Amino acid sequence: MSSKTAVIAKLALRNLRRQARRSLLTAASMIVGGALLIFSLILGDGTHEQWIDSAARMADGHLTIQSNRFQDSRALKDRMPSESRALVEQALRQGGLPGGIHAMVPRLAVTGMAGSAAGARPARILGVDPGVEAAFSVLDEKVRQGRYLRPGDRLAAFVGIGLLEALDLRLGSKFVLTAQDADGEIAGQLVRVVGTFRTGIPEVDRSLLHIPLSTGGAWLGCGDDITSLGLLLANSEQVPQARHSLQQGLSQLPGSEELQILSWRESLPELDAAVKIDDFSNYLFQGILFSIIALGIVNTVLMSVMYRRREFGVLQALGLTPGQSASLVLVEGLILTVISGTIGIALGLSVTWFLWGEGLDLSSMMDNEWTFSGVVMDPVVVPRFRAARMVQGLSFIFLIGMLSSLYPALRAMRIDVAETMKFER
Amino acid sequence: MGNPALRTEAVWKVFHQEAEEVRAVRGVTLTIQPGEFVVLAGPSGSGKTTLLNLIGGLTRPSDGRVWVDGLELTRMSSRELARMRLEKLGFIFQSYNLLPVLSALENAEIPLLLRGLERSQRERRVRELFQRTGLAGLEHRRPGKLSGGQQQRVAVIRAVVGEPALVLADEPTANLDSAASDVLLTVMEELNRDLGTTFLFATHDSRLMERSRRLIHLVDGKIASDQWQEPRRE
Repeated sequence: MSSKTAVIAKLALRNLRRQARRSLLTAASMIVGGALLIFSLILGDGTHEQWIDSAARMADGHLTIQSNRFQDSRALKDRMPSESRALVEQALRQGGLPGGIHAMVPRLAVTGMAGSAAGARPARILGVDPGVEAAFSVLDEKVRQGRYLRPGDRLAAFVGIGLLEALDLRLGSKFVLTAQDADGEIAGQLVRVVGTFRTGIPEVDRSLLHIPLSTGGAWLGCGDDITSLGLLLANSEQVPQARHSLQQGLSQLPGSEELQILSWRESLPELDAAVKIDDFSNYLFQGILFSIIALGIVNTVLMSVMYRRREFGVLQALGLTPGQSASLVLVEGLILTVISGTIGIALGLSVTWFLWGEGLDLSSMMDNEWTFSGVVMDPVVVPRFRAARMVQGLSFIFLIGMLSSLYPALRAMRIDVAETMKFER
Repeated sequence: MGNPALRTEAVWKVFHQEAEEVRAVRGVTLTIQPGEFVVLAGPSGSGKTTLLNLIGGLTRPSDGRVWVDGLELTRMSSRELARMRLEKLGFIFQSYNLLPVLSALENAEIPLLLRGLERSQRERRVRELFQRTGLAGLEHRRPGKLSGGQQQRVAVIRAVVGEPALVLADEPTANLDSAASDVLLTVMEELNRDLGTTFLFATHDSRLMERSRRLIHLVDGKIASDQWQEPRRE
């Protein structure tokens, strides 16, 4: 530390101590602000992770590999051939991904009709591998009657409760699925209800049904072809790196130019927008809160500068440059904000950890299932503690300290030393 | 012969107050050699403080030039002026102007600290001056716990500790009673005699004028007289 820096640091600390009450009051506002900041960030992250995980399990995973035309056409003709599927699955089993793959599920998705004696309804039909789907999807946890699909099932269907009621079906009832097959012809398939589910999302419960992948392949004449291969990762933070790694790995495979990798942000754009809007409103709230806190800091530091004009004059007469006088004020502001902000962050972390580390139960605030952007929310929000958020929080507080000390620092820099001495008299 | 401690050449300072033009210093030419003990006297508004501010680089002249220990201040940047003040000048103010958050010793050592001297060197020099000025034992007191005379002696130590080419003292005895003033003047005389420190005072105080060897009278911003005299001894 240079000698001038040492003088500045010593004076800054002593001056903060001199105005202990004023410093403590300002610090208290920063401590509360820091605690609220980190609480809202980690709770927000926990909520978003829950949304993403829930949506990824309900849809096609954190990452989806599919034909590069399927996203737009949603047509069976733009499916992934079984040869490509085999190569991709083999590559993933051998190479893995950074952070690991939690689950890998092949799916065959078609839109068709489900019909019974009571009528016909549009249906989103998903051919799944029951063995791996249970580790991926949350539907097997939403069983209302019967059971989820099992390996070896052939003509079984796991049906949304809304669709079941609309078709006036019961457990064990048979009904017909109709859709365009691989050749573009209309094809029908008889299936039997083995279980029903209720997600709480009306549009899902009224249209979605799962059938075994092999049944779907045989019915639609596409054998082992699939429309997508969904990958579930440990958490959404791993998506960018995993995607990059996946892109590199798949580019080595023949026919890779026909494939595309979508992250949940692309396959679930509504959820992506919802997360961004929620983040924005959180940042806006924090911005308003910290603007108020910053005004308090400006007031404290500016009062301190005005009160000590003569001291700044003396220091400049003794050889401190105007810039160094300004840095003294900046250091005071930064010490005040960074120390109190760090305490606030530590406090926010500790309180969140001890009180809601296992999750914050919001069920008392909800009447029924809480759905958002096509996703069923768990009423227990589990905070997500991430080092990056601590760094962000501290950087933000550092920035607030710097910005709020800037104007008082400029005032200290522009002090007219001769005038200050005149003022003294 | 080396550089004069101070040289000014036709220095002017004109202030503009609304429509009025105030000529605070009018073409002052002055040379002070190292080791001098000079008093700048004159009535209020005669331009004493303004001239000290010009010499200290705290105000820029409207015209003319100023050299301190051979360095011309007139064209220096604010950064260079700060460096010049640190290395070449010492200041003593009427109201002592010690920093209340620092102890007497810490106040006195600021110029050495800013120059980057080792702690042991700083303490040795400061303690020696505390001893010499009769302040030994008060090093760790805060300014608020010292009398006015003691505070002003700490300010004198702060001004001379870096062995500057020139010490500028603006009404240093104005806030002191006669006993404290006498002690302070004796201290500064001894520092001038023993260490060769050059002092330039701006004052109304007749006791200080009597004890100077050179007395310059400033009237309406101009030097009215510049006399050498036999100082009165206490």
